[in-house]
Amino acid sequence: MIDTRHLRRPLAGIASLAAASLVLAACSSGDSDTSGSLEDVDPDEVSGEISLLTPIFEGTEGQKLLEDELLPQFYAEYPNVKVSVDYTTYGNLNEKLTTAAVSGQVPDVMLMGVGWIEGFAAKDFLADMSDLGLTQDVLLESYEPTIVEAGMYDGGVYGVPIMLDTRIGIARMDILEEAGYDAPPATWDELIEMSEALTVRNGGTLERAGFDLLSNDSRQVFETFLFSAGGALFNEDNTAPAFNEQPGIDALTLMTELINTYKVEDIGFASTDQAVHPLINGRAAMGLSHNNLWTQAEDVDPEILQHMEPFLITGEQPGMFFGGTFATRSANSSSPEAAQAFLEFLTSPDIALAANEQRGNVPALKELLETEYVESNRFVQFSLENLEYAQREGGPASWLEVRGDFAPAIESALLQQKTPEEALNDLAALVESTLARS
Amino acid sequence: MATTEKLARADAPPRKMNKTSPAERKLRRTGWWMVTPSLIHIGIFTTIPVIATFVLGFTDYNVLGSPNWIWFDNYVEIFQDPVFRKATWNTIVYTFWTVPVSMAIALVIAVALNTGLKLQKWYRTAFFLPQVTATVAIAMVWLWIFNPQQGLLNAFLGLFGIPGQAWLVDPEWALWSVILVGAWQGIGIKMLIYIASLQNVDESLYEAASMDGASTVRKFFAITVPMLKPATFFVLVISIINAFQVFDQIYVLTNGGPANATTMMTYEVYRAAFEKFRMGLASAQSVVLFAFLLVMTLAGRRVTREDD
Repeated sequence: MIDTRHLRRPLAGIASLAAASLVLAACSSGDSDTSGSLEDVDPDEVSGEISLLTPIFEGTEGQKLLEDELLPQFYAEYPNVKVSVDYTTYGNLNEKLTTAAVSGQVPDVMLMGVGWIEGFAAKDFLADMSDLGLTQDVLLESYEPTIVEAGMYDGGVYGVPIMLDTRIGIARMDILEEAGYDAPPATWDELIEMSEALTVRNGGTLERAGFDLLSNDSRQVFETFLFSAGGALFNEDNTAPAFNEQPGIDALTLMTELINTYKVEDIGFASTDQAVHPLINGRAAMGLSHNNLWTQAEDVDPEILQHMEPFLITGEQPGMFFGGTFATRSANSSSPEAAQAFLEFLTSPDIALAANEQRGNVPALKELLETEYVESNRFVQFSLENLEYAQREGGPASWLEVRGDFAPAIESALLQQKTPEEALNDLAALVESTLARS
Repeated sequence: MATTEKLARADAPPRKMNKTSPAERKLRRTGWWMVTPSLIHIGIFTTIPVIATFVLGFTDYNVLGSPNWIWFDNYVEIFQDPVFRKATWNTIVYTFWTVPVSMAIALVIAVALNTGLKLQKWYRTAFFLPQVTATVAIAMVWLWIFNPQQGLLNAFLGLFGIPGQAWLVDPEWALWSVILVGAWQGIGIKMLIYIASLQNVDESLYEAASMDGASTVRKFFAITVPMLKPATFFVLVISIINAFQVFDQIYVLTNGGPANATTMMTYEVYRAAFEKFRMGLASAQSVVLFAFLLVMTLAGRRVTREDD
């Protein structure tokens, strides 16, 4: 586990990052139009109308936070910049970006997820911020290497992290203790044994899942098990799939057997549209969950939080999946200075913290580790303490083209229409043809 | 000479009058002005996109780069793609079941509502409501109905001791669940067309049949059904077209899953365009869908003509 004390360096977060980047920018580029350097620029002189496309700050609460609390702070510093916000969801972000690209009306600042950066950067859709002095080295002063890497493509920095989201094991300790267990499972074997023991059926009807893996996106569940099996999605240079090698087959076999052999959960038992997560209402004893389960539980049943214990899914090694939200800038913004100023604002500590709190996510900035929000949220703390085990999805520029093919392949194995090996090999053939085409 | 010419002109057949009167010309001009916005709209928003779709179907256009000609490669890929084949089959199955089932139910309801039923307007509104309600809202309600744990359908079946199902996540049931929603939603507009058509049926036919001692069922099959034939063909054609274009309920209810069990042609077009950014492939898939619809429409037209 990471000793969080080593993260307590007195970094000034993104503010110092920005300052350092501006020094580097001043050294490396004299082109004021493309530098985006704001070091010598009076904020009053930065002007323009820019647009933001955001899949976070969702719903009425999110919109209120952004428009009533955060944007006024930006306008106070940059009074001559006007920001128009286009709200969307991660589910519709692809459509928005596609139509924006086709119509030539690309938002000046875009928030997008892990695995998205490479594809858009490869097509010159995004501005390379290392040209502005925002290099990998500069970012590494404030973020963990794996997180910085997720915003990079071909050596350039195209995304600055705002927040992370992780998939971690969660155990209901009150249920485990009733069954005689005093700790969550530490290995795959223990996971199987305990899940079986904790499953409750009334006749043929499942009343409590021993381990819930169906309430999450099946691709991300598979990835978590894959990483815990010591596997990877792609080979080192991202030119060929690796998920269909033995660790991947083992991971999907485990998922398939949990449902079909050990019967710790039935297909359809815990669907994602249920209002309350099965771990909160006790319909599952353990499960793989998004870290924001903590904030969900705070809203629904705060007392249950004392019984929830996070753990790492551990096979050959501990495995944790992480995604996240990155701020990016259009390569063709008509107001690059204003866009850069706004990007720096969105990734600055206070603003990023507010966004994380609203969404119940894990702050990407190391300096936010000691905030009250993090210290009061055990799942966020746990995720941060174990970031060394976290792996992300994506890698090749064509990731967005193939990621949608994962769910049907995984489902075909879970439903026993194909063996795990067949499902993954068929998927690998699809991925290979996409990689060959791009 | 002048007299001869006059005579010759008099003997000649009357010249065809090409010129229209000023009033007619003005009327014609006004007509053109009135349809101009529609023509511009069709030109810009229909004709150009249709041509672009056909052209892009021969390219590898991926939104973020320049398109390259790949000619028939997209079509070869479509016909070799098991997922698109599955989507095509699902679309055919969906159409085969939703169209006749909803037509039959709509006809029965229309006949019932045409018999002076009490609260007739209320019933008509109730049956038509799904048609004017956003599919997304309807799908959200059906998501709850189909929910394996808290859903209405499993609770209802439980009253009779019938075990519930995971309707939308079990591949055995998912397509049938989507078909049920499609058939239910399609009843309203068909019912309305049938009601309109029923009101044009001559009452004297029923009176004559009654005097001959025909039963209600006999009158239905001997008078109502034949008299509704033109409406039936019209409903059939638009229903097939609508069924082939099903998208929103798939998008909300199942996302094409589980394991592509409910994916449809339109959903694959969406996935190719907006998930994979393969506009060229999506265009080619749209052309294939268009070809299906063209064949269906022409077949429907042919049947209608024969009827005429």
